[in-house]
Amino acid sequence: MDTVTDITLRTLAISGTATLLATTWSLPLAYRLAVKGPRTVAEALESIVGIPTVLIGLLLYLLFSRHGPLGPLRLLYTPQSIIIGESILITPLLIGTLHRVITSLYDTYGETAITLGATPSQARDTVLSEALPTIAGSTIMAFSRATGELGIALLVGGNLEGKTRTITTAIALDVSMGEFGDAIKLGLALLAILIITSILLNRFNKVSYR
Amino acid sequence: MRPAKTTLLFITGIAFITILAISPITIQNRETILYASTTTSLYNTGLLDYLASNYRKTIGEKVDINFIAVGSGEALERAARGDVCLVFVHAPRLEAKYLANGTLTHHHIIAYNYFAIVGPTNDPAGVNQSHNTIEAFTKIVKAGNEGKAIFVSRGDRSGTNLKEKEIWDKVGYVPSPDTDKWYIVSGQGMSNTLLIAEELKAYTLTDTGTFLKLKKEGQLPHLQILYTESPDLINIYSVYLVSTCEGRQRNVSLDFIHYIVNHQNLIAAYGISEYGQPLFYPAKDSIEWLQEKWSEITAQG
Repeated sequence: MDTVTDITLRTLAISGTATLLATTWSLPLAYRLAVKGPRTVAEALESIVGIPTVLIGLLLYLLFSRHGPLGPLRLLYTPQSIIIGESILITPLLIGTLHRVITSLYDTYGETAITLGATPSQARDTVLSEALPTIAGSTIMAFSRATGELGIALLVGGNLEGKTRTITTAIALDVSMGEFGDAIKLGLALLAILIITSILLNRFNKVSYR
Repeated sequence: MRPAKTTLLFITGIAFITILAISPITIQNRETILYASTTTSLYNTGLLDYLASNYRKTIGEKVDINFIAVGSGEALERAARGDVCLVFVHAPRLEAKYLANGTLTHHHIIAYNYFAIVGPTNDPAGVNQSHNTIEAFTKIVKAGNEGKAIFVSRGDRSGTNLKEKEIWDKVGYVPSPDTDKWYIVSGQGMSNTLLIAEELKAYTLTDTGTFLKLKKEGQLPHLQILYTESPDLINIYSVYLVSTCEGRQRNVSLDFIHYIVNHQNLIAAYGISEYGQPLFYPAKDSIEWLQEKWSEITAQG
């Protein structure tokens, strides 16, 4: 049997990894878009921040399904497939929020640094270190969205006990069984995770910003 | 701070280590991993996990049976796409379509019970005194039109919902929420639909397992079973092998089916200690009658 702790730890591992993964491509991409454009790409990504998770879940399911294009990878019903799905889900959110801040910071600090003789990579480090609070904020938002999503975990993960059962799929199952009390317990665990991560990251952020 | 590139590489490293670290959850050593899709109402009774854990004890090798609990339609669609080896369902009309298109083979009826018409204790429609299911539903229509009764339908093409449609077809009147004020479509699972019926003091059609569970927990004080155990209300649970399933998984699947068919005493005893009555009747003793009933239902589809 999966305990609340098992499910919570699994959820943390899955959505945490998805957030880290998405950050590794979203940050460079957001920086590139902010400095070189095109602006329309960033705007298009911003507009799909609210994309339904169940839609991404369905598309990925068709992709990972045995006879789907990526069927041979055998990713269906694995935690990895949820990680991939969630990292795609939060990419528009990360790029959308980061790109705006980096654009304005680059105008202020980046241009100045380059005028003062900094190389592009020195200018980048300056801008990004100024952007650190926003990067942290975006990451928290992305983590929160990944942790709270249901559609992807349900469709590609399959809500398998002991393997891919996350807090949200467990809540959905409990509700379908009429076990509202258990569902609320899991809901509180979810809220606790989100609040604690937010507090920790903000604290770390203040320390490093000083 | 670190230069941006180093930091990013560092984060990427952590991400990949985590991905590798959680891999052992899925890739277990030399175990046969089996996926079975099933309907939520059946999964929620716990019967399948109970059968699987008993089966695992009897065999020497390691077999990992995973149940994917979804709606009947999705359970069969996942089978059609080859993503599961076994399907446990109770929707004969839908099953027949997937048998016909070659998705499913090795059909075995494993258990049955009866759907129940539940409703408010005072039973304004008089369902309690019906002689057959059609009469019971006709009474609900009549009382509904007089403003004395409400009926909540799941409307989600689940096995239970298909049974309800099957009965309306027999009644010769198919209600619609557009024209019949007394007919409500919840679009939700059985538990939620029962809770809606409880709130509205309405009638609904339910599987016995879900009803007894919620009733026992005290969540349905105003609802009671008014009509059940009629041949029209039979609820037939079947297992199928998915034809695309191959190799070790196919052998283990067939072996598991064989085990269930031959250990019907497990099904007969399931739930008695918890609910004071069995949740399922084993299929074995009345298999011919059940096959006849099954064919009857699909022929109407």
